[in-house]
Amino acid sequence: MEKMSVEQLKAVKEQTDLEVNLLQDSLNNIRTATTRLDLASAALHDLSLRPQGKKMLVPLTASLYVPGTLDDANKVLVDIGTGYFVEKTMVEGKDYCERKIHLLKSNYDQLLELASKKKTVADEAGAVLQAKLKQLAPQT
Amino acid sequence: MASPAAVRELQRDLENKANDLSKIQKDIAKNHQVRKKYTIQLGENELVLKELELLKEEANVYKLIGPVLVKQDLAEANANVRKRIEYISAELKRLDAAVQDLEEKQNSKREAVLKVQQRMQALQAGKAKA
Repeated sequence: MEKMSVEQLKAVKEQTDLEVNLLQDSLNNIRTATTRLDLASAALHDLSLRPQGKKMLVPLTASLYVPGTLDDANKVLVDIGTGYFVEKTMVEGKDYCERKIHLLKSNYDQLLELASKKKTVADEAGAVLQAKLKQLAPQT
Repeated sequence: MASPAAVRELQRDLENKANDLSKIQKDIAKNHQVRKKYTIQLGENELVLKELELLKEEANVYKLIGPVLVKQDLAEANANVRKRIEYISAELKRLDAAVQDLEEKQNSKREAVLKVQQRMQALQAGKAKA
């Protein structure tokens, strides 16, 4: 990078900064998704502790609940994406949550590594840029 | 001998070529966006296919059509998802070919613009000397 002109260095730094921002956004998204899956997993676990026939309130809208009874807590409907839902047992449902959480965690780790590398490149570009500007500036 | 008319014509040519170039660049950007959307959909569909393959024969599969959850046959769901994956992959290949073509056009337009700029500079240098 030492051989590049000030202009080129500026361009490289801006480009890498943009990439770092994009990667940070992706990291945030993965964190949000993992939190939601954790909540789902906890809810499943709670559900499995409830006896059949237990009285409960079923949400029809965000402000309207209707009294009902718990039917079969062993069967759960899982959203697997693109509009498909699969009926699974409680055990399979928990397993599904665990699998997804593992997948997300490994994606998160890969992304984190990539983002750190990019950040290093961006910082290096910035440092070399500063040095060059100092060289060019005080001619007195 | 550089007449102002020749300079004006070169300028017009330059503008036209520059406009063409920016249009090509916009097309390339649009191509990237569409291809991003398709790549995301392909990933999601492949996840769904994996889940479906883990299921036993008698497991119940439902599809959300609007506000209605409709029971679907596992074989049919598998076939549907596979077809979508095929379609999206074909679209991505088409987009790839299109973007390569656009990039070639972009490069040749850039060269053309450069040539016109050089001619203009030569012409104006000639004018300055005279």
